[in-house]
Amino acid sequence: MAIGRKNVLSVFVVLLCVAGLSLTASAADKLKIGFVYISPIGDAGWTYQHDLGRLAMEKNLGDKVETKYIENVPEGPEAERVIRDLAKSGYDLIFTTSFGYMNPTLKVDKMFPKKRFEHSTGYKTAKNVGTYMCRFYEGRYLTGIVAGKMTESNTLGYVAAFPIPEVIRGINAFTLGAKSVNPDIKVKVIWVNSWFDPGKEREASEALIAQGADVITHHTDSTAPTLTAEEKGVYAIAYHSDMSKYGPKAHLTAATHVYGDFYTRTAQAVLDNTWKPEQVWSGIKEGSIELAPMNPVVPADVVALVEKTRKGIIDGSVHPFQGPIKDQSGKIVVEAGKTLSDKELLGMGYYVEGVLGKIPK
Amino acid sequence: MKTTKTKSFIGFLIPLGAVLLALAIGAVMLLSLGANPISGYATMFGAAFGSVEGFSETAVKSIPLLLVGVGICIAFRANVINIGGEGQMVMGALLSTSVALIFPSVPSLLLIPMVLLAGAIGGAFWGSIAGALKAYFNVSEILSTIMLNIVAVQFMNFLLRGVMIDPGELTRGTGIPQTMRLTENADLPILLEGMRMHLGVPIALFVAFGAYILLWRTAMGFRLRSVGYNPHASRYAGISVPRNVTAALAFRGAMAGIAGAILVFGSESHRMVTDGGSTGFTGSAGFNGIVVALLAGLHPLWSIPSALLFGGMLVGANALQRAAQVPSALIIALNGLIVVFVVSSEYFKQRSLQVGRVALSDDESTETQGKNNE
Amino acid sequence: MDGDIFIQILVAAIAAGTPFVYAALGELITEKSGVLNLGVEGMMLVGAISGFIGMAKSGSLLVAVLCGMTAGALMALIFAVLTLTLMANQVASGLALTIFGVGLSAFLGLKYTSIALPGVPELHIPFLSDIPVVGRLLFSHDILIYSSLVLFGFICWFLYKSKAGLILRGVGEAPKSAHALGYNVIGIRYLAVLFGGAMAGLGGVYLAVAYTPMWVEGMVAGRGWVALALVVFASWRPLRVMAGAYLFGGITIAQFHIQGFGIEIPSQLLSMLPYIATIIVLVLISRDQKSIRLNSPASLGLTYHPNN
Repeated sequence: MAIGRKNVLSVFVVLLCVAGLSLTASAADKLKIGFVYISPIGDAGWTYQHDLGRLAMEKNLGDKVETKYIENVPEGPEAERVIRDLAKSGYDLIFTTSFGYMNPTLKVDKMFPKKRFEHSTGYKTAKNVGTYMCRFYEGRYLTGIVAGKMTESNTLGYVAAFPIPEVIRGINAFTLGAKSVNPDIKVKVIWVNSWFDPGKEREASEALIAQGADVITHHTDSTAPTLTAEEKGVYAIAYHSDMSKYGPKAHLTAATHVYGDFYTRTAQAVLDNTWKPEQVWSGIKEGSIELAPMNPVVPADVVALVEKTRKGIIDGSVHPFQGPIKDQSGKIVVEAGKTLSDKELLGMGYYVEGVLGKIPK
Repeated sequence: MKTTKTKSFIGFLIPLGAVLLALAIGAVMLLSLGANPISGYATMFGAAFGSVEGFSETAVKSIPLLLVGVGICIAFRANVINIGGEGQMVMGALLSTSVALIFPSVPSLLLIPMVLLAGAIGGAFWGSIAGALKAYFNVSEILSTIMLNIVAVQFMNFLLRGVMIDPGELTRGTGIPQTMRLTENADLPILLEGMRMHLGVPIALFVAFGAYILLWRTAMGFRLRSVGYNPHASRYAGISVPRNVTAALAFRGAMAGIAGAILVFGSESHRMVTDGGSTGFTGSAGFNGIVVALLAGLHPLWSIPSALLFGGMLVGANALQRAAQVPSALIIALNGLIVVFVVSSEYFKQRSLQVGRVALSDDESTETQGKNNE
Repeated sequence: MDGDIFIQILVAAIAAGTPFVYAALGELITEKSGVLNLGVEGMMLVGAISGFIGMAKSGSLLVAVLCGMTAGALMALIFAVLTLTLMANQVASGLALTIFGVGLSAFLGLKYTSIALPGVPELHIPFLSDIPVVGRLLFSHDILIYSSLVLFGFICWFLYKSKAGLILRGVGEAPKSAHALGYNVIGIRYLAVLFGGAMAGLGGVYLAVAYTPMWVEGMVAGRGWVALALVVFASWRPLRVMAGAYLFGGITIAQFHIQGFGIEIPSQLLSMLPYIATIIVLVLISRDQKSIRLNSPASLGLTYHPNN
């Protein structure tokens, strides 16, 4: 070939320079926003919903922002490094989207006083760290109504990840929703001690179905519970994302969370210099919680009831945790006419009446 | 012995070629995803080695890789290879964390050596279980370390969800399996203001030099190497094979245990956290350290650049992901490719060195894999 | 606990144990030839995604199975070339295979995370499936479960009744003698490693196509390591491999059922037990030289140099 070795070398050098230039040139003026994800984005689940939010924000704000994500970042020492790395390389607003990123986020915040951080599902804020999460329990309550109406065995199955307040709150809200239309309801819970393990989620779903549950829902990340319900001929209510294509017959609806508006508002606030660290807890009213389209098998009166309750939650006339609520021992934990405060909700550590079994330590 | 240096130099060059070949294949994969491989790699290595800060990150990331790698070098010289690094790191971290929880008010000058020593003891204990099983019951250390890894991880989950959990996690009801913020007296001091380079880096280097001296400048090292080279002859020379095999695995465990302790006390959160598996805590350093040692030709000092290379890749991978927005799967695949190429380069290395027997190819005549029945 | 639930647990345990059956029986053959391949996890993952792609593209289970087995065997071929031709260390090569398999499967699967597969239907056998208890227990599974039983039968026959099996065991026991008798030790080991890879791949296919018909990164979730443990736990005997696989599947399933009944158990301690048991088995069989001679391949994990 006519190309000499020197030529190849010089082409290489030129390419390197061009690459270097293009890297530095793209950074000007835009607000650079980083996202740290716990798992690969995939097609459904926690991270997928956050990424939909990121894309929606990009669409809304156009070339005012530039976003990047780092996926599959384990909690612990690795997370510290990734968050730090983003802050160091010019990302001014960083969303850390898993509970276990809380301490790493706070740590990195101390070293970069000019950066803004938003941590999802945490409870600690700092000068430049805000938190945000969704009132998942509102969606749970609505899906509980659907489950309570659709069950024939009066036994509902719940595949749960870890016994933390967020998950327990969801179980209780689901149970209360179901009991509001069907007082005989029992909810069986199986803990799989993992956020994401399709094999275990399937095995737990199977066990629940074998023990008489005919509607399965889950607080885990994969589509396995829906798939298993479809295979075994029972109903499923999905979580995080619409999973209807994984169980066209089984999938009744799904409680999903939507972040596009929140991400857009937050980025806009940083652009306008009006951003403040806040603890944002948004629900149906703010458009953060939505139900996936109902399966046609759900009767029209149930759909109407859910819609009515949804409106009630928006206008404040309905609260999922509205007294009187009894715990498992029959003791009244919320008196008639009262609702639980946000603080009580955040620290929830007991099952309401209707849930079977005990919360593992 | 005169040619050791040139040998290990060639021994480093050939695997390095393997790394470059793997990177070339990685470039094709990058292209297939529509990313520019040249700028991608430039970003990657620029982030890892291009600045003091980047290098500081790389050095910190390399600590566990180097320590595990050095441990592998020692064990391999005694002809015991094992894959127990993950479990040993976990056990070292657990014991050192317990020490910090029990003695929070001991001054730093004393507490830091104490937690490091506890880490070494924890790891050595876990390693010597495999060692004793091998030496006295003839149990294959490869098979036993597979089990011991899983047992250690479950033990960690049990403790971090149980007695060692941060009391705050219980009162708040959040229940994250992590310890409380450990005493500041045990924090590994930061060496460069505003960066993450901490005392763990010189400690790891010190251990690497120590291992080199141990292996080639002490009677103990001589015994370890001779047991690895020829157990029969060693036995006739009055060297206890079981004792030295146990010692080699204990050393190897101690290195991994120190690595585990440094991960806890050098971390930014200064606490021990589990995500239920081992990788969340160790970052697979217990496995990757083996590759570090192989790339270094099983030499403790060559393990230093080797660990830096892998540490740099891990640091640079995030930069690459950020710059080119390639999925994390590609980085894992690239890492795997490098490992396969490094392992396969062993053959070409040995051919070029014309050495009859390098520790890597455990020759059958020495019968060292647990079927030594006389 | 009524009887019906008990049967459901057993049925579920068989399904949960089947990936172990495939992977562990394959590894058993590999190890019987004297080769220790620690790359089972990696081979299962690559088998899983390849089978999934095959199923998604063709809709045929046969194609999926062939894809998965071929992919597993190709992965094993890398291992075989490394350890048998290039004489690399088996432990390091096996680890390399696992690390590579994790990455490769994630890379191959990038475009397939959003596809839903129909799953594999249970095979209804007229009359037999309708027998009250036995029918549910034995005749209500999908075809991949039945073929794992066929595989088990074949392996028993092969190892203990066929001449080829005798040669295979001889190669694992005393490669030098086998070589002296004129057998091609390296060639036989190549075949054993490839078979192990194909079976690990098939175990992966079962997971991704039948058990949880979807593809997600790392979905094998440590089952490859369990399969390795099972071979040792079974002290290299096929019947014990089967028993161990179903026992392990049963423990997992029973754990969830016990929870469903509201009984509290410390799950971490429970999940430690099988591995501690395996270590004890290891100690017992390693101490008793007679039993180790009977079943454990004497040259396991050692590099064989044909010209030494």
